[in-house]
Amino acid sequence: MRKGIVQLVAIGVVIGVAVALVAVLFQWLPESASEEFDRIQDIYWFATWMSVVIFAVVAAVVVYSVWKWRVPPDDDAEGPPIHGHTGLEIAWTAVPAILVIALGIVSAVVLSRNAEEKEGALEVRALGQQFAWTFEYPELGDFETGELVLPVGRQAQFTMESVDVIHSFWVPNLGQKMDAVPGIETEIFVTPKRTGEFAVVCTELCGLGHATMRAKARVVTPAEFDQWIEEQRT
Amino acid sequence: MTATHPSPDVQQYPAHFEPPHGSTWRTFFGPGLVRGAWMTVAGFLIGMLLVLALRWWWGWEPLWNTEVILVVGGMVLAPIGFLAGIGSFDYWLHYISGRPTRPEDHSGHGAKTWKDYFRVNTDHKVIGIQYLVTTFAFFTIGGLMAMFFRAELAQPGLQFVDSQTFNGLVSVHATLMIFLFIIPAFAGLANFAVPLMLGAPDMAFPRLNALSFWLLPIAGLMFVASFLAPGGAFGAGWTGYAPLAEGQPLGQTFFNMGVQWAGASSIMTALNFLVTIITMRAPGMTFWRMPLLVWANFTTSLLVVLATPFIAGSQFFVMFDRVMHTSFFVPEGGGYVLGYQHIFWFYSHPAVYIMMLPGFGIVSEVISSMSRKPIFGYRLMALSLLGILVLGFSVWAHHMFVAGMADWLRVPMMITTLLIAIPTGIKVFSWIATLWRGRIHLTTPMLFALGFVTMFVIGGLSGIYLGSVPIDIAASDTYFIVAHIHYVLFGGSVFTIYAGVYYWFPKMTGRMYSETLGKWHFWMTFLSFNATFFPMHYVGLRGMPRRVFDYDEAFGNMNLFISIASFVLGASFVLFVYNVITSWQRGPVAEANPWRARTLEWQVSSPPPIFNFDEIPQVVGGPYEYGVPGARHAILTPTKEAQKEAEEVHA
Ligand code: HEM
Ligand SMILES: [Cu+2]
Ligand SMILES: [Cu+2]
Repeated sequence: MRKGIVQLVAIGVVIGVAVALVAVLFQWLPESASEEFDRIQDIYWFATWMSVVIFAVVAAVVVYSVWKWRVPPDDDAEGPPIHGHTGLEIAWTAVPAILVIALGIVSAVVLSRNAEEKEGALEVRALGQQFAWTFEYPELGDFETGELVLPVGRQAQFTMESVDVIHSFWVPNLGQKMDAVPGIETEIFVTPKRTGEFAVVCTELCGLGHATMRAKARVVTPAEFDQWIEEQRT
Repeated sequence: MTATHPSPDVQQYPAHFEPPHGSTWRTFFGPGLVRGAWMTVAGFLIGMLLVLALRWWWGWEPLWNTEVILVVGGMVLAPIGFLAGIGSFDYWLHYISGRPTRPEDHSGHGAKTWKDYFRVNTDHKVIGIQYLVTTFAFFTIGGLMAMFFRAELAQPGLQFVDSQTFNGLVSVHATLMIFLFIIPAFAGLANFAVPLMLGAPDMAFPRLNALSFWLLPIAGLMFVASFLAPGGAFGAGWTGYAPLAEGQPLGQTFFNMGVQWAGASSIMTALNFLVTIITMRAPGMTFWRMPLLVWANFTTSLLVVLATPFIAGSQFFVMFDRVMHTSFFVPEGGGYVLGYQHIFWFYSHPAVYIMMLPGFGIVSEVISSMSRKPIFGYRLMALSLLGILVLGFSVWAHHMFVAGMADWLRVPMMITTLLIAIPTGIKVFSWIATLWRGRIHLTTPMLFALGFVTMFVIGGLSGIYLGSVPIDIAASDTYFIVAHIHYVLFGGSVFTIYAGVYYWFPKMTGRMYSETLGKWHFWMTFLSFNATFFPMHYVGLRGMPRRVFDYDEAFGNMNLFISIASFVLGASFVLFVYNVITSWQRGPVAEANPWRARTLEWQVSSPPPIFNFDEIPQVVGGPYEYGVPGARHAILTPTKEAQKEAEEVHA
């Protein structure tokens, strides 16, 4: 029995390491460009390590059992009549419960921090319409653009609206996403932390041109931003 | 009411009711496909004239309104005409109108030739097979659509189809898979197995059972026929969100109405299962002696009757908005756009369990009998089903974390969502504990059951990512969702359906399938399934939205790989079909109990006798007492010796 447990653990470790390598060797997430996405990525890694362990445990037991206790088709013996084990059953109710509650608490904390409005937030209106995005900066002038430009380091408060059907605003590197819904206004906060060019995509099926409803997003230095605003005003 | 048995001696009744007319008259006016065909046309014409007359009466312009005529004539009265034509209502109509009903000769029972499968048949075993063959036909159609749009997605940009057709293919694919494959295929397997497992001669309401089946092809044809509608098939996704759905071309109405027929079918079957399970258990079959498949269908049926009316409502409201210009979901008219999503998900989240719990039941049967061990923690297995049932109704808004709903709802819905992982985890751990120290027979159903356990864990874990609101905000509406639903619905539900079909194949057909082909089928499916869907997690997180025909160049190679893998996955299905057809025709004759299982369906011949049990079984113990010396689940021949034995076991 002792030997069996060692073998089982060895299989579990091999599977766990293999899955962990898959998790770290590929760049599963886009490179974060916002403070909010940094926090989301932290939970992502929490969930990932939890998943690696759970998958390794289940897969190891399945592989080990089949390897150890497989019998030829003509075997007609029966297994030992084990009906249950109260200790084990309590354990595998309690441990997952603790894990998911921990994940829930961390998620709730991140969620509320990602929805905190900071002072001096830049107000941006994102308008969804089949099949293009329009952006407005109501505090900075009366103009519309098809390109989203944000100053680095300053929180932007997005208000979403739609004139026809539901669209969804997403910049993969910024992490946050929100539907633009006709009839109501929705809101998200994004604090870009590095400059660069990104893509705005619509993620809610909105009709024939849904796939091509994309726009450009640029995160620039505050000086460049002020200059860009000047250009837009004229 | 417990297991009232009709006399097994069928001959004492006339075999067929003979109408007092000639054979030509009978072909046209007797129940059957011919009468079904002309009554379909008649139903449509009556509907059309009704609409035209009313519009003329009120002086509405234009007189001809295609959408209204299609709804009333094509999607309500024509199907009713068809059902009446094939004879679904004959008995009831005779009874209501006071005419002599057809003698209760059970002539609708059993199938002697393949033609009997094309009639209204009240035998649950025939209906089960009717369900399975029909659902696998729609699985094939839905799968071919997937092959088609995977070809389109192999490269960025549009190659083969226009964007309305693309949206239509994606939407009809998902709709067929959910409403015409997974849900009814489980209903088919349960139809065959549950009455047998209970020791009952049939379902509680055999005629209702037949009617539930015949509603299905109607729904399926409606979904497929939407491609013929002007403007193309419905293209707002299987979720049909308003207001997009309200502005769609005519095809959307086919979705709105098709869902009604499929939903009505589910509700009727679920009621039938509930009454059957509650009232038709054999003597001694207490709830705590029921096999887990029966428990699973009991909980699923509760979910169906409670939840399905909500999707029916949501689709009626959309159709009313489209056809009658109400404004349930039209913001300009005071409608509430998010209301659609709340109602829709109030059904469709429970629906994901409707699509999973019966599979849990199948896998419990297979793993226990193939490991030669009692299922681990039987009572907790049954209770966790009930836990999922209750929790399942409190999580619907986790599909709306980025929909702009009230903020305060997010955290409570996240907590309930994450809690569902607990009963689900109990099930997974109990299955693998059942394997422990068993004597494992790695047959094809067992391979699919173990494939299910591992793949479903991946799907459940990606569900936990999505249950965490901040991660969901990043992953929602991307290919990550597509990966998640395929791990739970393909790696989950479809694998269990395969396991169930292989497991009961000898019982249904009386013949054995080919193990060699079955194993090839499993490995090919398992590998290509992972190659197809695992990379979708990656492209989704990296920025590829779902339901798009075009995408960023950067995802080109990955999508090419996915498409090629998906063609292999499609090809693996051919092995299954070939195995089933050839084995059904000339496979080796199956024994009554090739798996040496304990549940009641294996204690009768393969296929079972026309009324299942020649004697009423007497249940004396649990269904999975493998390895317990002297334990029995039931005694089938209540001879004197058996009676004595029963008393001994009791003592
Ligand atoms: C531990 C168990 C599970 C959890 C925590 C979970 C969680 C979730 C969440 C949060 C979403 C919404 C994602 C989004 O749209 O942003 C989702 C989507 C979905 N889930 Fe699950 N899930 C679980 C198991 C299942 C099972 C068992 C099934 C079906 C058998 C299923 C089927 C689906 C489907 C079909 C969708 C996509 C619906 C759509 O088209 O938008 N899930 N899941
Ligand atoms: Cu869109
Ligand atoms: Cu859900």
